[in-house]
Amino acid sequence: MVNGTLYRREMKGSLKLLLFFAAIITMYVSIIISMYDPEMMATLDSFSQAMPELMAAVGMTPGASTLLGFMISYLYGFILLVFPMVYAILRGNGLIAKHVDRGSMVTLVAAPVKRRTVAFTQMLVLVSGIFLLVAYATCLEYTIAEISFPGELELQELLAINGGLLALQLALGGICFLASCIFSDTKYSLGLGAGLPALMFILQMLANAGEKAEAAKYFTLFTLYDPNGILEGSESALLGIGILAVLALVLYLAGIFVFTKKDLHI
Amino acid sequence: MNEIIVENLTRDYGGGKGIFDLSFQVGSGEVFGFLGPNGAGKTTTIRHLMGFIRPKAGKCTIHGLDCWTKSSRIQKNLGYIPGELGFFEDMTGTEFLDFTVKYRGLSGENRRKELLGRFELNPKGKIKKMSKGMKQKLGIVAAFLHDPEILILDEPTSGLDPLMQSRFVQLLGEEKSRGKTILLSSHIFEEVERTCTRIGIIRQGRLVAVDSVEALRERHLRTYQVTLPTEESARAFARDFGGSCQGRQVTVSARQSLEDIFMHYYGGGENG
Repeated sequence: MVNGTLYRREMKGSLKLLLFFAAIITMYVSIIISMYDPEMMATLDSFSQAMPELMAAVGMTPGASTLLGFMISYLYGFILLVFPMVYAILRGNGLIAKHVDRGSMVTLVAAPVKRRTVAFTQMLVLVSGIFLLVAYATCLEYTIAEISFPGELELQELLAINGGLLALQLALGGICFLASCIFSDTKYSLGLGAGLPALMFILQMLANAGEKAEAAKYFTLFTLYDPNGILEGSESALLGIGILAVLALVLYLAGIFVFTKKDLHI
Repeated sequence: MNEIIVENLTRDYGGGKGIFDLSFQVGSGEVFGFLGPNGAGKTTTIRHLMGFIRPKAGKCTIHGLDCWTKSSRIQKNLGYIPGELGFFEDMTGTEFLDFTVKYRGLSGENRRKELLGRFELNPKGKIKKMSKGMKQKLGIVAAFLHDPEILILDEPTSGLDPLMQSRFVQLLGEEKSRGKTILLSSHIFEEVERTCTRIGIIRQGRLVAVDSVEALRERHLRTYQVTLPTEESARAFARDFGGSCQGRQVTVSARQSLEDIFMHYYGGGENG
């Protein structure tokens, strides 16, 4: 099912991008957690009062009193949603469609390796990358929180909301992977693989911003991820995570299936 | 036994493009030349054989295995030089060959060193920076690395200089004597003439002739009888033109080169 040689090569190929996004996440997470401070909270809240729509659009809602609540407001509305997603878009496209487009897929399929194995290996590379980014963010958040505000952050709660985040990012990655498997042209693969997640994020921002646009939330996967709901243990939030996880599985399997059956004009 | 069998293979891309009801066989240990101009359907046929595309109608098998469903088993014993080389451009040639060896799961001996020496290729540089010729050599080395029984070569000498072309022809000759089955697609007549035992000529997706090199030439043999003024000049004429002489009458025959035969099938018609 997995070709170790291909997996190692593609993970090596993911390294630069992973380091880049890890660096961005490091910067934002450390800055934002260190900003947690009741006085600063007042300042941020005043921003929210001054321009509520804009702050809400990027998921920054006022009134969080705990460190985790603060992190949900200021990290889980934009930074931890968008950066792993962009990673998945770039990598998802690169793992299948780019090889077909550039012709290097010839090397992979003109060998005694089943197409299913090629696709499954590439999927595993994408999933590994997303997992590493979310795991890294988790470690980072916990470490920085422990250093700056010892005892303020419940590890279990952090793991719960980041588990949900992982499900969301895997589902978004599934869209990119499926697009990469369907299209032999990176133009279209990126069009769908980047376009759809980006559109959904914009809809999410719209839905957050205004009551009139709230209906937009029914057209975006981001609605299914509700970190505050997860903390409260609300059933709908947990159901959302379940749907995301199942969706991710279906998308990856569909991608592998499509790639196994498609004509390769290479 | 036929190693490669193509039966009524059809793939219509519309606008006259594609391959139509194509059938031919390549026997075990045979070198089959697949000759045709650009766009005639050579690469489309090869993609079917490689299991890259699924036949819309008809079928093809290699070593008795279906090319679409059993592709990965066929590939174990198959070497392929694509018409358009696809490497991982970020690798060096050495990294690419290392990758190929491990990816294919080859253990122990392979022909890498010998082949690199034969084609005077130093694979240390980045593939991205290699010339067309160097890339082609790298493609050849990668295809012959695992010493496969069946070789499918899509215009394998493109980009090679004449010296390297002749080294490649030499390599094919050796492989032929070692009993390898080879399908060589080309539009270079000399290459096909020097290496192949049988030739299939494809035009607009249809096979217009399949025969041995000799038979193709025979069929296009033209015989002339000329009468000369004196017996003496008849003898001289027969000597110079390799004919046979009977009194003042001399019979000479003209053998067409493969190129002329090729032009015969293509000349006059619209471009394939």
